[in-house]
Amino acid sequence: MIHFISKRLRHSLVLLFMASLVCFTLVVSAPGNVAVLIAELRGAVATPGYVEKVAEEIGLHKPLLMRYAGWLGDAVRGDFGISYRTGQEVSADLPKRMLVTGTLIVGSAVVATLLGLALGFLGAFWPYRLPDRVSRGLALLGASTPTFFVGALMIYGFSVTFQLFPSFGFGGPESWVLPWVTVAVLPAAVLSRVVRVGLEEAMASPFVLTAKSKGLGRTAILFRDALPNIIPVFINALGTQVGLMTATAIIVEPLFAWQGVGDYFLQGVKFRDFMVVQACLLIFLAFFIVVNLIVDLAVLMTDPRVRRQWS
Amino acid sequence: MHDEPLLNVSNLTVDLLTAKAAVRPVDGVSYTVRQGECLAIVGESGSGKTVMNFAPLGLMPTGVTTNLSGSVRFDGRELIGLPESEIRKVRGKSIGFIFQDPMSALNPVRRVGRQIAEMAELHLKMTPRAAEERALELIKLVGISDPAARLRQFPHELSGGLRQRIVIAIALAGEPKLLIADEPTTALDVTVQAQILRLLKDLQRRLNMAMVLITHDMGVVAGAADNIVVMYAARAAERGPVDKVLVTPRHPYTRGLINAIPRREDPIGSEFRGLPGIPPTLGAPFKGCAFAPRCELAIPACTASRPPLARSADSAVVVACAVVNQRKAAA
Repeated sequence: MIHFISKRLRHSLVLLFMASLVCFTLVVSAPGNVAVLIAELRGAVATPGYVEKVAEEIGLHKPLLMRYAGWLGDAVRGDFGISYRTGQEVSADLPKRMLVTGTLIVGSAVVATLLGLALGFLGAFWPYRLPDRVSRGLALLGASTPTFFVGALMIYGFSVTFQLFPSFGFGGPESWVLPWVTVAVLPAAVLSRVVRVGLEEAMASPFVLTAKSKGLGRTAILFRDALPNIIPVFINALGTQVGLMTATAIIVEPLFAWQGVGDYFLQGVKFRDFMVVQACLLIFLAFFIVVNLIVDLAVLMTDPRVRRQWS
Repeated sequence: MHDEPLLNVSNLTVDLLTAKAAVRPVDGVSYTVRQGECLAIVGESGSGKTVMNFAPLGLMPTGVTTNLSGSVRFDGRELIGLPESEIRKVRGKSIGFIFQDPMSALNPVRRVGRQIAEMAELHLKMTPRAAEERALELIKLVGISDPAARLRQFPHELSGGLRQRIVIAIALAGEPKLLIADEPTTALDVTVQAQILRLLKDLQRRLNMAMVLITHDMGVVAGAADNIVVMYAARAAERGPVDKVLVTPRHPYTRGLINAIPRREDPIGSEFRGLPGIPPTLGAPFKGCAFAPRCELAIPACTASRPPLARSADSAVVVACAVVNQRKAAA
């Protein structure tokens, strides 16, 4: 077990390094010259000479490998450089923004889990009956509605029409509800299908016949016998969905005026603010890798058959 | 209480309706099992022997509509027509089940101790702690060494023989009066088969239970059963005490089955003696005797009408064969 974790951690570090290389390459190969933008932002007329001066100042002339090494060396020490646009330290902005995005993703993951389980069980309790059909219809609707549209509907419905929740800002718990639900809709739809199909498959297994022969009722069999069998699959699916929530955050944070990492990333992209974009990408990638590690460990804990291979 | 046998099945017919097809895997079968007795039900695959025992107890896959007719009286109570909620109380509590494949009959992600203990909680109204104690007793009863450690293991950590012992422990946990064992040794290694069979037989005697043993292994029948029902194509071909049916089989099908068992005096390399022809598929209706196309004794009358089960020369044995019964009448 310890061996497994340390091995996975080592793999994760290698993965993170390679990911940083990829995101650096992507960012520097993006079109556009940031020096021009900075020069314009400083109010001076962007004469070629001045642009040249700015480029020199922020180190655009150094060889790529040097720039990467320099950036990585600083990033390891928690220094993500200075934002070209604001002139502020990126690492000074990050903690607050990570807290915002963390709140968004953790809350959405919880909402998605609850909704997914509830809808999935609804279908499994009454297979091919009305509740199942309603659950399947909702899943289809949830999976095929774009997130920005869901967010707009949420604001229109619960903020404008019924005025139950604030439409923007990161304040108290009541301001968290709409963003959480908005992000959770798509994952919940996917997860409900995972639960529904998994339960149906489990209920057709021979051990369910044994459970029936014991005199257990359907509800007891669903919870005691079928549910433990789908937990590893569910965790896997949840992990994928939570990983994808970073992408959703880029859409939803600006929508609700939350100043999280997603919003930061979007601003960075708009302004070709390399330092900000790189820092955000690295955080997203690290998050993805950590989520995967947690998923693997959680599957290890919930599936005794997998656990055996590593003990 | 009274003289009625523990299990009295009479003229049981089972019809299965799926979305696509309707079949009758059990057609007018009767038998009885008394307390402390073991009945073997023998037949080839698809002869209806499993459905006959599982369908009246509601153990059919979902998506299949099961129509039952005839009568299944268990412990003085008619099971056919009972609602599922009532039949559920019989399952596990009064009737224990043992399945063919212990590899898949246990839940892979739950500790075997829990899988046994939940029976005691459900049927003996025990607290979880008392139920664990009971599980420990049961696991000792089925002859598993190092019982306390086994309780905490998962099915995949146990061998096939051990898993089948766990399945038996589960079946016994509700203190049943009847055990229904569906080919309990078929999926096991040959070396383990004898152990499991001996264990079952021993438990049945010690706990004075009745047992229905579904099998296609004549060796199992000879060693364990008191009575035998030979099934062929959804019907009973022959029924009687094991010592009589196996020694002097009357029905040509029974004779063929027993003749097919390899013998010690067979020369090495000789071909197996099989029954000629293939068994009929379920669902095709028979006007006469279903075995007639494969039968060496068949006469035209065999295909004309279904032969009734009739007492043979020995009144303990009943046979459904027109030819055999005609001879008896002539004698």
